[in-house]
Amino acid sequence: MIRYVVSRLVTAAVMVLLATLVIFLIANTVPGDPALAAMGDMQASDPVQVREFRARWGLDLPLWEQYWLFLQRIAQGDLGISISSRRPVVDDIIDYAPATIELATIAFVLSLLVGLPLGIIAAVRRDSWVDHAARFVALVGVSAPTFWLAFIMLAIFYGQLAWAPGPGRLDPIAFPPERITGLLLIDTAWVGDWETFRDAAAHLVLPSIVLAASTLGLITRTTRAAMLEALSQDYVRVARAKGLLARVVVTGHALPNAMLPVVTLGGLAYANLLTGAVMTETVFGWPGLGRYTFRSAVAVDFPAIMAITAIVAAVFVLVNLLVDLSYALLDPRVVKA
Amino acid sequence: MADQDKPGFGRRPLIAGTAGLLGSILTGARPADAQSAARRGALVIGLDISDALSLDPVRVYQYSNPLPTRAAYDGLVTFDAGDNINVKPALATEWAYQPDGKTIRFKLRPGVKFASGNPVTAEDVRFSFARHLNIKDQPFQYISHVESVAVVDENTVDIVLKDPTLPVISIIATPAFGIQEKALVVANGGTDAADAKEKDKATEWLNNNSAGAGPYRLTGWQRNQQIQMVRNPHYWRGTPGYERVLIRHMSESAAQLLAIQRGDLDVAFNLIPEQIATLRNDPNIQVMGTPSLDFIYMAVTEAPTNPALQNKLARQAIGYAIDFDGIIKNLAGGAAVRPVSFLPVGTNGSTSALTKEIGFNEDLPRARKLLADAGLPNGFKFQLAYGNAAIAGVTYQNLAQKIQADLARVGIIAELAPMDQVNLRTIFMGGKSEAVLTFWNPPAPENWLWSSATVNRVSKRVQWNVPPEMHKLVADAGAERDLVKAAALYRKYQEAMVDFAHHIVLIQPVYQVAVRKSVVGLNLTAAGWMADLSGAKPA
Repeated sequence: MIRYVVSRLVTAAVMVLLATLVIFLIANTVPGDPALAAMGDMQASDPVQVREFRARWGLDLPLWEQYWLFLQRIAQGDLGISISSRRPVVDDIIDYAPATIELATIAFVLSLLVGLPLGIIAAVRRDSWVDHAARFVALVGVSAPTFWLAFIMLAIFYGQLAWAPGPGRLDPIAFPPERITGLLLIDTAWVGDWETFRDAAAHLVLPSIVLAASTLGLITRTTRAAMLEALSQDYVRVARAKGLLARVVVTGHALPNAMLPVVTLGGLAYANLLTGAVMTETVFGWPGLGRYTFRSAVAVDFPAIMAITAIVAAVFVLVNLLVDLSYALLDPRVVKA
Repeated sequence: MADQDKPGFGRRPLIAGTAGLLGSILTGARPADAQSAARRGALVIGLDISDALSLDPVRVYQYSNPLPTRAAYDGLVTFDAGDNINVKPALATEWAYQPDGKTIRFKLRPGVKFASGNPVTAEDVRFSFARHLNIKDQPFQYISHVESVAVVDENTVDIVLKDPTLPVISIIATPAFGIQEKALVVANGGTDAADAKEKDKATEWLNNNSAGAGPYRLTGWQRNQQIQMVRNPHYWRGTPGYERVLIRHMSESAAQLLAIQRGDLDVAFNLIPEQIATLRNDPNIQVMGTPSLDFIYMAVTEAPTNPALQNKLARQAIGYAIDFDGIIKNLAGGAAVRPVSFLPVGTNGSTSALTKEIGFNEDLPRARKLLADAGLPNGFKFQLAYGNAAIAGVTYQNLAQKIQADLARVGIIAELAPMDQVNLRTIFMGGKSEAVLTFWNPPAPENWLWSSATVNRVSKRVQWNVPPEMHKLVADAGAERDLVKAAALYRKYQEAMVDFAHHIVLIQPVYQVAVRKSVVGLNLTAAGWMADLSGAKPA
């Protein structure tokens, strides 16, 4: 088992490096010039200053040398300095990542809390009104454009009904808590500042629902399909014939067997939530990684793009690893094989 | 499926439980009464601040960061809202050119204190400028003709110019040249020494704190989230009206609209014309218009790839074939004006009336005649590049399509080339474009900054070989210290710019800012820092 994990981790590192190489080559074929994008109008018009700028950021080096320098830096844990924010990329990521992690985690938990039971009930009571409702929720969740859904939710629950607070992580006049982890729920709970905790929690409600919508749809549908498949198996019929309670048959016999595809999907969905919240973050004024990634790409900010790529690739590879390992827990046959 | 499969666990408690939890979280979020006093004491501004790179004055040159910089730092001089021609006193009460012609002597206002409570001295002024001159970030470029700044006595400072024909007083009104408290900046790693470019380490601190004498003091900046400021109790114009100022980052205009309607924002800067229209009947909100000094223009280059564009008459034909009034009325919702050329309306010597008189105005017969005179009676083709962006709600896309349709009337074919902004900038600055729709916003309301840009930097981009008499005209106008005489020279400059037809200015937006009526005394300005917060107070 340990050998397996180690070999997977080594493969993972190679995968991450390959991903950064691909992105590096793609980013370098973009015609936009990062120096001109980052410099002010007067500076950018002065060839001497443009040359200095290129030299300072290593943009004047041959491509292979730029990539080699990136590898050297990353080996030392240094992600470089962002051209567009002029700060170490690590600082930027430390600033923006907690907002995204908090939102994505809440959204993921939400989609599991709602999606799993909904999928199970929809399968168990196939073609009942619950099933139809679940299908509708899944359809809307998966197909509604995030941008649109975010505005509609904001307009109704914030603008019209005033049930939910507006964009941002906290009320405008709230004092942000002392930063410990950057996760507001944890930082406020840590010091016992329950008023700010509730403020932060309330600000999470709408964006996490919006972000959860598509994941929720996928999880509901996958759970339903897997459960239907499991419920039609012989061992379920045997269990019923034994006179077991319906609930024991569903949760004890069918559900564990239906979990494999759901876990796979869930893992990837969480990785997606962590890395792809640009729209939700934009509408809800959420200072997260999604916006940062988008801006870095638009500004052809090589160090930031490379760092984000490395991180995103690492997140996906690690999540996949965790998913594979969890198979062993769910299905003992995987370990034996 | 059959009935016996009915699951044994109830879903209703689960749903009810979730709803109940959500309900209690949401109601907990708004203890409205408890917060209302705190809310009234805070001015909350909605603004897209994602472009801001720094709040250290020596590095402030983006679009949004001059607003907090001006709130935290007062400069020697300023411009009053609505007047972008006459420089007004601020930390300096008077100034005069000395007999040597290259030294300007400033007398400091007595008794002014920084937010720290320490007095503003001539040494602080010298330090602030010396830090610029040695750090050499973008704002330095605007005062690179300053030779030195010297302390005369405790309350007197000299700015000595290398080239006394170049203007400087209006330029230092810009927030980047706000006066910093030397002791505080030095204590946090700052230096004004010759090696400040490498040795100065104060920027990190100045991004989260300020060392100025402005009405508010910076206390924090969470990037892409908010900028927090508190009142400066020592402010020389009197105690500022709010305990706190919060600049909230909201990049989506629709979110800003909702937030100002709900009262979570007091000021919304980034609304588009349709959203402004929905606020006209809101009893709690007033829409304030402020003519900007920004404009969208079409740069027409003498591209080697296009012989037609190398012909001045053909370029002029473009200018006379555009329906400018239609652009202002239909694309900008009427909220725009149009200058003659590269000097926005509201600066010395530029008015809308002058545009009617000597600018490009729609005149199709004249456009056709110009084409015939150019030897191109059937028109010509050129490529028009633009970015995927919008200014004051006007997208470059719509603008390009309108121009394409207008020019087609006289046989000029504009081939549209949309691209992202960085690519656009790269081809434009690299001199690889035929025509480009782009934007100009000023660092300071000083005519010379616009005019010198056109004959120096921008001329290279449009591949214009500027004749010596044009350079002389720009230099003479910049050196003229009498505003009336300068205005006459700038009229000549604008006439010449129309004749060369390299820059066709399309619209100069009137920015529409929504302000809740609970705020009074907020003065919007076009001078580059959006608003003067010193007089703002709760109604």
